[in-house]
Amino acid sequence: MKNMVIITLLVALMGCVPTLSSIPDTAIKVGTSVSKAARPIASEEEYYIGRSVAARILGSYKLLNSPEFTTYINLTGQTIAFHSEMPFTYGGYHFAILDSKEINAFACPGGIIFITKGMIDLAVNEDELAAILAHEIAHINHKDGLGAIKSSRWTEALTVMGSEAARQYTPGEVSQLLNVFEGSIDDVVKSLVTSGYSKAQEYAADESALVYLRASGYNPAALKDVLKNLQSKSTPTGGGVFKTHPSTEDRIAKVNERLTEYRVTDFFKIRSKRFSEHYNVFSR
Amino acid sequence: MRKTVFIMLLLFIPAVVYGETMQVITKENAIRADCNFFSAVRAMVKYADALEVVSTKGDWYMVKFGGKSGCIHKSALNKTAVQLAKTQGGSHAASNEEVSLAGKGFNPQVEDAYKKKHPDLDFNLVTKVEGFSVPAEKVAMFIKAGGLTE
Repeated sequence: MKNMVIITLLVALMGCVPTLSSIPDTAIKVGTSVSKAARPIASEEEYYIGRSVAARILGSYKLLNSPEFTTYINLTGQTIAFHSEMPFTYGGYHFAILDSKEINAFACPGGIIFITKGMIDLAVNEDELAAILAHEIAHINHKDGLGAIKSSRWTEALTVMGSEAARQYTPGEVSQLLNVFEGSIDDVVKSLVTSGYSKAQEYAADESALVYLRASGYNPAALKDVLKNLQSKSTPTGGGVFKTHPSTEDRIAKVNERLTEYRVTDFFKIRSKRFSEHYNVFSR
Repeated sequence: MRKTVFIMLLLFIPAVVYGETMQVITKENAIRADCNFFSAVRAMVKYADALEVVSTKGDWYMVKFGGKSGCIHKSALNKTAVQLAKTQGGSHAASNEEVSLAGKGFNPQVEDAYKKKHPDLDFNLVTKVEGFSVPAEKVAMFIKAGGLTE
């Protein structure tokens, strides 16, 4: 009977522990500074930060009007997002193309992802396009953009918010929060456009991208391939992604270490064909 | 001894999320018949709706809401309990999570103030980008045609 008690307990534990650990704390544990504040930034707040960051990006880059290809990258990106840790964000994932030859991509907090035409031109098939998007989705999943916000700003915001859940701020509170909000947007934009994330964050995004690609059914080696394409475009004074990311050579080496076997099927040709069809219309 | 086993099992039951109320943390989402992204929609839910968790299946919760039951992905829920009616009454001191879910924090009011200060920024374009989305059914067809994984 003693055994029965032990077995019963084990069964109960097997049933309970994973359940408990699977409870998400989707109100987000930011990896760096902001996580030290009294509470993390919630999904809705992340969404509003992301909207303003997106507005700032769109102030510097023109949106490319290419409905067909935009739908295509949204299908590709959404497929990847479904296989990430966070298939849903407050406002969802949205992928848009920037009309720029610069090789770059920006993951705004909350789920808006911009990819330049120059970056799309690097991809020679759908799996490589998926690899680029997977890297950006990883930045959103990892809350890297939010991590750029100075912790003092969020602490100040929390002080203004107080502990009563009123829906409207007084004009004085709005003014205080606006300053904090504005500073937060500046922090994120600076990180996205000028200073970049840390090397560790970029390597982690590559690592997650490999996981998402495999889970989605894409060839993870496509990430290595597209990085090689990127490397071939590298110039000593290169801007865009070259300015904000660690050396492509190092990224390729790290990706290479993590690649595992993948069986290429005929579907790769089908995906490559649909990529070419969409790309040919897009690049005209 | 059977009684002991029964009591021990009962002790574990509260640790399971069964019966726990969780809140929707996305603008809107769907409760689906089966635990996958492409299953039939049983009910639509919106931000801060409270769902009763019946059980879990991998990354999905099986929930009850408004007399309907089905699956919703864990990334769409948070375990915080918010009672807007209570908090809006002012007598209840809200927790930090409650504060955010009740519309505090960075919200439309703060965004409006930011827009006024930066009239050069085109938020209509951002809203346009938010319109770039594809329905789950189309994603399912795309996945199938490309030999990808559902």
